[in-house]
Parts: sequence; C-alpha cells; structure tokens
Amino acid sequence: MELASRDRELRAALFRFVDVVPACRSLEDVARHLRGFLEELPETPPPIAAAMRIADVRAARSALGAAAAAGVKHMAHRFIVGESPEAAVRVLRSLWEHGVASSVDLLGEATVTEEEADDYARRCAHALEQLAERARSWPPRPRLERDSAGPLPRANVSVKVSALTPLLRPDAPERGRRDAAKRLVGLLRLAKQIGAHVHVDMESLDSREAVLELVLELLSEPEFADGPSAGIVLQAYLRDSPEQLDTVLGWARSSGRSSPLTVRLVKGAYWDHELVQARQEGWPAPVFEVKADCDRNFETLTCRLLDARPAVRVAIASHNLRSVANAIAYNRLTGGEDGDLELQVLRGLGDDLQDALAAEGFRVRTYCPVGDLVAGMAYLVRRLLENTSNESFLHEQASGTSLAQLLAAP
Amino acid sequence: MTRLDETVLGPFANEPVLELRRSPVRAGLDEALTALDSRLPLNVPVLVGESERHGEELASFDPGSPDRVVAQAAVASASEASEAVAVAERGFREWREVPALERARVLVGAAAWLRERRLELAALEVRECAKPWIEADADVCEAIDFLEYYARAAVALDSGAELVQVPGERNDMRYAPRGVTAVISPWNFPLAIPCGMTSAALATGNSVLLKPAEQSPACALMLVRALRAAGVPPTAISLLPGEGEVGAALVKHPGVQTIAFTGSQPVGLEIVRAAAEVSPGQLHIKRVIAELGGKNCVIVDADADLDEAVPAIVSSAFAYAGQKCSAAARVLVHEAIADRLIERVAGAARTLVVGQAEQLSIDVPPVIEPSAQERVERYAALAAREGRIVARAGGVPESGCFVSPTVATDLPPDSKVLNEEIFGPLLALERVAGVEAALEIVEGLPFALTGGLFARDPATVREVRRRTPVGNLYVNRGITGAKVGRQPFGGNRLSGNGTKAGGPDYLHSFVEPRAVSENTMRHGLVV
Repeated sequence: MELASRDRELRAALFRFVDVVPACRSLEDVARHLRGFLEELPETPPPIAAAMRIADVRAARSALGAAAAAGVKHMAHRFIVGESPEAAVRVLRSLWEHGVASSVDLLGEATVTEEEADDYARRCAHALEQLAERARSWPPRPRLERDSAGPLPRANVSVKVSALTPLLRPDAPERGRRDAAKRLVGLLRLAKQIGAHVHVDMESLDSREAVLELVLELLSEPEFADGPSAGIVLQAYLRDSPEQLDTVLGWARSSGRSSPLTVRLVKGAYWDHELVQARQEGWPAPVFEVKADCDRNFETLTCRLLDARPAVRVAIASHNLRSVANAIAYNRLTGGEDGDLELQVLRGLGDDLQDALAAEGFRVRTYCPVGDLVAGMAYLVRRLLENTSNESFLHEQASGTSLAQLLAAP
Repeated sequence: MTRLDETVLGPFANEPVLELRRSPVRAGLDEALTALDSRLPLNVPVLVGESERHGEELASFDPGSPDRVVAQAAVASASEASEAVAVAERGFREWREVPALERARVLVGAAAWLRERRLELAALEVRECAKPWIEADADVCEAIDFLEYYARAAVALDSGAELVQVPGERNDMRYAPRGVTAVISPWNFPLAIPCGMTSAALATGNSVLLKPAEQSPACALMLVRALRAAGVPPTAISLLPGEGEVGAALVKHPGVQTIAFTGSQPVGLEIVRAAAEVSPGQLHIKRVIAELGGKNCVIVDADADLDEAVPAIVSSAFAYAGQKCSAAARVLVHEAIADRLIERVAGAARTLVVGQAEQLSIDVPPVIEPSAQERVERYAALAAREGRIVARAGGVPESGCFVSPTVATDLPPDSKVLNEEIFGPLLALERVAGVEAALEIVEGLPFALTGGLFARDPATVREVRRRTPVGNLYVNRGITGAKVGRQPFGGNRLSGNGTKAGGPDYLHSFVEPRAVSENTMRHGLVV
C-alpha cells in the first residue's frame, strides 16, 4: 500500500487487480491479470518489473499468482473483521473489551434480483441475531452502552438499501422504496425485539431520496415509536446537505419516538463517482470540489447536529483530526457531555485514531466490514478505497505534514 | 483546417439530460403531458415550400392506449413529392449561397427553439412513440446535440482541406453541397434521427425533403417548425408525411442527389438498389447513407464483473422495449460463469415492470404497433419451441401493444431467434467456450452495428477491439445511448455503409470535394 500511495497509476492498477482477483479461476489466471494491469503502467518500478518477468515463465506464474492472492488476503485482514458474523464476533468482542463499540457491515454482490435482496435481508437478520446473542456475555462497558438519552444497544448492524431491493431507480425512488420497505420492516421488527441497532447507510446521490424517505417513513410507523434504536447518514460533501439536515431535524423533532434517531455525519464515500457522473451528464457537481469547502460544511453540520440534541443522537464519522477535534471542542464548549457524542472510524483506516480516542475516554464506534476476504476486498475497493482521495489524512500524515497544518481551519 | 472547437460558435458540449433523480425536476413532467393531451390530436400538414396542405389520410396513435389519436396527418401524393423536388432545387440554389457560418447560426437557433420546448417535445415522444420520459428527454437532447455539433463541424469543413503548395500555383480543395437530399427517418428516435440527417444536410448547404416514419409524423413536424422558425428557407426544408410510397418516389426521382436513410435492412437494401438506377435527366450518381439494423452481441468473459454486466445487459436489451438498433440481442457468455450469469440476468429480467411510457416507475413500455407486438410474440414462441425460456416478466396491461420481456437460452445456432433482427424485448443468452469462440460467432455475422464486451484482462480487451467488425464496441458498459461527439454512431457490413452520425467525418457524406489548382505565374512572375 505504501508503493500505491506514491503513484496514482500504480494504485489504480492495484485496485483493478484486487477487484478482479475473486473472478480469477486459477492462480495462473491471477498472475496473468496482474501482469496485464502492470503492463499498462507508463513505467514500472524494479520490483514490479521483476514480477512481470516472473509472469513470463509458465512454472513461476502459479507461484506469483499465489503470492499476489495471498497479498490481497493479507491486506483484507486489515479491513475485514471476519468472513461471517460468527467469525467476526471474536474481533468485535476484543474491540469492546478495549472500549470500542462496532457497527457491522455485510459485504456482498450487488443486488439485481429479488432473490438476492431476500438473501441479503436474511444475512442481516442472521447478523443481528448472532450479534445480539453473543454480545450478552460481553463485560459491561458503561460508556458504550448508555448516553443521557438512554441505553445504547451492543449489537449494531449497518444495512444498505441498494442491497435490500433490485428496484432502486434514480428517477422513480418510490419504486425501490416500496420494495425495500418490505424487507427493512422485518429487520426493524427483529432489532426491536432483540434490542439491536439498525443503521441505514447512505450511498450515491442516485438513491438518496429513496433511502431517506424510506427510513423516515418506516420509523414514523406507530409500531416503531418505542424502538428499535435506528440511524441514518448525512453526507457533508453534498452541497445540499444543510437542507437535508433541515428535513431530518424537522422529522426528528416531531416524530415523538422514544429512542432518538442517530445521525451519522460522514464526508461521503462516493466523491469520485458523483463528480464523474455529473461531468458525464453535464450536471452541476452535487459535491464540493474543494476539500476546504467540504471540511467547513462538515464543521457547520457538526455544530448544528450537536445543537439539535436531544432530538437526535450524534455520531461524527471522520478520520480528519480537525473535524473530530472540532466536534469534541464544540460539544464541551456548549456544555455537552463527552458521552453524548459518538465518534466513528473505519476498520483498517482509522485504527490509530480509534485507539487514541478510546484511550481519552470517548465513545468510539468502528465500522466493521464482514464478508469473504477475497471477494469482500473487491467490494471494499469499489466502495471505499477507490474513493479515498489523495488528500486523506492518512496520506498527509504519512508524507510528513505537520500537526499544525492538519489542524488548520478549513 | 479549422478545428471544431475553434469556431466563433464556441466549443461543443452535449445538452445535459434532465436530472430526474431530483424531485422538483420530475414534477414538471406531468404538467407537460397534461398540456399536450389537451391539444391532441395534432394536425400534421404536407409542407412544400410556402404551401401547406392539411389532411387526415394518416393517423398516429399512442401505442400504450391505441384509442388515443396523437396526430392526424396529410399524406404527400406522388405529384406533391415531385413538386417538392422542384421546390427543393430552388431552395438548394438559395441556401447554398448562405455563408457556412450564417447557416450554422440558423441551426444553433433551431437548437435553441427545441431547447425552449424540451418538455413539450419529450411529452410528444411519450405519446406518439411510447418513449419513456428518460429516453424521450435523451432523444430531444440528442436532436439539440446534432444541430449544435454539425453547425460547428460545417464551419470547420468550409475552410477546406490542406494541400501541398509549390511556387507558381495555388491549390485548394473545398467542399460543396451535393444538392437535394431526401431524408427518410424511423420512429424510434423520432426527433434525434431525422434531426441528425436533416441538420447534416442543411449545415453543409443542401436542401432537404423529410419523409418521416408514418408512426411519428408529429415529432417530425416539430423539427421542421424549429428549422423554419430559426431561418431555414421553406424551400430548403419540406415535410412529406406518408408511408413507403412517398419515400420510394423520392429515392427514384432524378432530381434527388443524396438519400439519408435510417431504418430496417430490407428497406435500406432496396433503397441502395433503386438509387443505383440512373433515370433520364439525372445528373448525379446518387449517394445513399444507410443506417440499418443490428443483431448486437455482448461478449462476457469469465473474469467479468457481473455486478456491472447484469444491469448493463438488462438495460441494453430491454430499455425502450428493445426498439433501438443498438440494443443487445445476444449475450455470448464464457461457460465458466454461464450458469451464474443466466440466473442473474433472468432474475433481473423478472423484476422488470411493463407499463405506460408516461410512468417513471416502469422499465419496459409498449412496442410501437400491433404488428410489432405480433412479431415479437412470434419469435418468443419460436424461442420456447427451439430453446428454453428462462424469464418472462409478468403482468402486462391488457390493452396497448405490450410484450413481456423475455430471456431465452439453449437455442440452436441456426435458430432465427439468433440470426434475425427482432427489434423487441427478447434477449438470447448463449454459452461459449471462451472469448475466441464468441469472436468467431461475431465475425461470422452479416450485422456489425454495436457490440459489447465485459472483460477485465487488458489483453482480452485488445484482442476483441482488434477483431470485432462492429461500428460501435462498448467495453464494460451498456451498448446503447451513443452521445453526439463522444460515440460517433453507425454500423458496418449489412448494418450500414460506415457513416458515423455525430462523428467528425459524417458531413463528408453530404458534400462533394472540388479541388482547384490555379497557375499564379504570369510570364515568369509569381503574382
């Protein structure tokens, strides 16, 4: 990965490689693809040229394929906590014991059929049940289990609406919404019954209207007035996110639910996708194109969310040190309790931040992908890593940017 | 030569389609449709020069509810067609004298006229051709694109070609318009295709006789109104609604120099044959621009990303009920992943909703007319007899020309389902041993319009690029939706004679090059 962050083209080649590995039929096939992507690089660093020479020798191809596949698997261990919820529980328990809560995200293929949507809903239900049951034996961690609004479930699953229905259409959001509702309602009932949290992820702008309306509509049902604990996501990179927050807060203030809606504030993981799509269609960019504008909006939304408590619970999900510090400072400045602010990080990308924040006594929740290591890594590449811009905190830190610069006002 | 983006008109950019994912944008659609409905049926006259003759010899219907008459049209007679050629000859002499930049400004003006009426025009396509909103809007945008693109391209072409120069002579080559152009257009892109052929002819200084498909006369009328409103002289653009006879009369007429046709293969080949006959009084070898059908194959290699391939295949095959010459008809899938692909494509096809074009929530609108419905059903029945149907989307409305989207597999190689253009929502999936076997099939087909490839090994992509004969190959994406300037569109082999609509050299088909070499020596002196 270090080589990768130095060279954009090489990184792209490696992403393409990781993406295709699950579709390869043999180790030789793996090696052939690796070679094919590397060949397209304008210049090849010496270790890569060596790998390509090896790929020329038939006998060595399997060995190279095996080494490359093992490399992907090794990398996957950093980001994916287990191949199944059962396997993941070991890591989740260890996080919990170290004072870190989690939210589980089930990786998988895109949903294009009704059967696939049913299957994803079943996997989510299974994960909810497994987590709720196994988490009962975890030791008490008061900071992770209660805030001033009440108890916080130990079992927490993040779900994707695009996986709950094959019918999401950007120009007809009600269709996907109706179809996804059939399955989400079952998950909400289960979560309420077993005391788990369901967090509905936000994806690209194409599905935003369907996702937001789906969640607010279902949570408005009388049967969900007293549970389960549930949440949505607000993406600060969207220019119209302040208006989205108006909608969410308007709903939250009048919903009368006993468990406040959790709003997870993120920067957003589909920046490249949104910008490319807008350029291709000739639409105005829906996202901020300058990082500082996005960071400024993130801070403004953070303050608005914190001010809106207790109508909502607030989760700030960022690896940007300044964004996190701003949330903590504003919360304290306005007399808030540290325990009424949740900080979230991504498994594998925010591990150091997670440990540091937990050590300082904050409630940290780590977003933990679960799924097949090799295939899961491909999904993860597509969804998260490919969209990690070069401006990411990790990259800047690795290349020696000073703390003062990292904390500079946007 | 002037580059396309250097002309005084500014750089070309595709007209942005409506951002229908935003609800305020969607809100305007119903209103536009209601406004249109209150004006139906529209009246489409024969427009020849300044004369305008109304009539009700031909009607166009809403394919989704055949009781709704969208337009009543007059049908151009043989004598009107002949008169129109004479008028167009006058129009040609007038229009060719207008400087290229001025002509370009007129076309850009026509684009503006269309742009101002975008929703109204899209609504008309929804009604007259059962184009779903998203497709109708894209068609209007494409029409605008053609006007804007060819306007610029014609200005660039007008500066001529660069030739070798030596002392004592001046060499230049300019492109002159060919003359009277008959444009014979289909209904499936009822504004964009007639607009593309017509605007290419007009931009280069030709006059045009437009014979639109009998199913979509009202859409064609809007195009002619746009052009005339923007300043194309009525003698340079006439509208001749009607059925095959009008088109045939124009093709045979000795005064027609160019025929631009988009439509079915049998009609196109008949035009090529008829245009080769030289009639008494004829001064030109007629040129035919023929854009015909396809039997478009998508190759799926074992390393394909099925999460992307499945939705792309399904929309390429079933959007607008498969009624695009670019639509996917056959999928040639590597046997290693065939079961999985068939299962997922079939499952995805079963989720398709068939319904009225005006509803945003449908996937598949009706086909254009009862005979099309019967034709597709006939092929579907044949597919069931000769192979295996793996998906038929259920629940089609009872009245209207609706057909269930169908996915078939296990068909014998000589099946008509695999070898004839069906032009409807029927997709065949075939297992192949690998990309090599798929390429052999593709290389053996008489059609070569569009093709698709889903593969991630760069070597495979290179090999398929090298060997596939199609005019438009799409790699790891859907195979429809060519954009002006970005995917110049047109087929080879029996799918077309190689012209590329919306491409940098399309206008060459509408002009004749004239080279002039002038001696600049006067008694030993270079003047």
